[in-house]
Amino acid sequence: MKNAQTAAITMNTNKLLELSEEQRDCLQEVVNVAMGQAGDSLARFLEVFIQLSVPRIRQVHRDQLNQQLETLLGGNSTLVSGVSQGFYQLSGSRGLRGEAIVLFTDRSFRALADLLAYDETLNMESETELLLDVANILSGACLSGIAEQFGTEMGFSTPAILGQRISIAVMLENEKAEWDHALLVEICYTLENRSFSCTLFLLMPGESILMVKRALDHLLELL
Amino acid sequence: MSIPLLICDDSAMARKQVVKSLPGEWSVDITLATNGAEALDAIRQGKGEVVLLDLTMPEIDGYGVLEKVQSEGLKTTIIVISADIQPEARERVMKFGALDFIKKPVDSHKLLDTLREHGLL
Repeated sequence: MKNAQTAAITMNTNKLLELSEEQRDCLQEVVNVAMGQAGDSLARFLEVFIQLSVPRIRQVHRDQLNQQLETLLGGNSTLVSGVSQGFYQLSGSRGLRGEAIVLFTDRSFRALADLLAYDETLNMESETELLLDVANILSGACLSGIAEQFGTEMGFSTPAILGQRISIAVMLENEKAEWDHALLVEICYTLENRSFSCTLFLLMPGESILMVKRALDHLLELL
Repeated sequence: MSIPLLICDDSAMARKQVVKSLPGEWSVDITLATNGAEALDAIRQGKGEVVLLDLTMPEIDGYGVLEKVQSEGLKTTIIVISADIQPEARERVMKFGALDFIKKPVDSHKLLDTLREHGLL
């Protein structure tokens, strides 16, 4: 049970971590440019036209993450496959870090396999490989694009499969969130006939948000 | 005489970046639009003799604007400025009647060259 002082500190921290309307708009545009680069990479890989949508930016509390992701992906019965990759800043303040999560719904995954003309039914191994390939293309290009605009460089940790064909709740069960507050960026890529869509989530925890704000303020100053 | 120029983008930052990259010597009357619907209204009102158009927008996106301009036979010159740089994006916008395609973040030199190339400046 939090006492009044702790509650006040929490509230002040939350205020510090909030993005202003201007910063949010700036981040949306930075992500827009980066996702365009990622979309280009994916389009070339799949040789199709990728529909880009406006990136969504939210601030979430640890308890809300499950629910947020479930809502964004169509409910708690949706089966998903996911890949997670940590990213961190290589130069400068080195404070910018987070997690990139790419989620595919089951239907999407089959559509993807069809697209790449897999003759046999995908076995677990080739499915895993495919998941990792696409996730790598998306998060790699997107994060590099963001880093470039922020005038910095990102390093990546080895990608990990979060799960294949399981519900989001189960997938996140084992994710021990070490943060209270995070910035959640949602980037959706869809194929024209809507058979395939996947979502890239960028999660930036607590202190990292301060670095993001700093980088955004710098860009806004240049305007 | 000033040319009615319409800048359409849902992002305030992107709109500012475009305004900032306009050649100083270009005499224009600027109107800003935040989505495709607003852009179409402005074009119909004669405020977009030249349009600098984003693609990724909510409601009516850039492709939607291009399609409508074509189907309604609206008289305007559209240059797309977008982050959607996939190979087919450029093809599509040109097919829908855009004059040219510039990738974001917009470079002022590139914009100047493009305007000159098409005799708009």
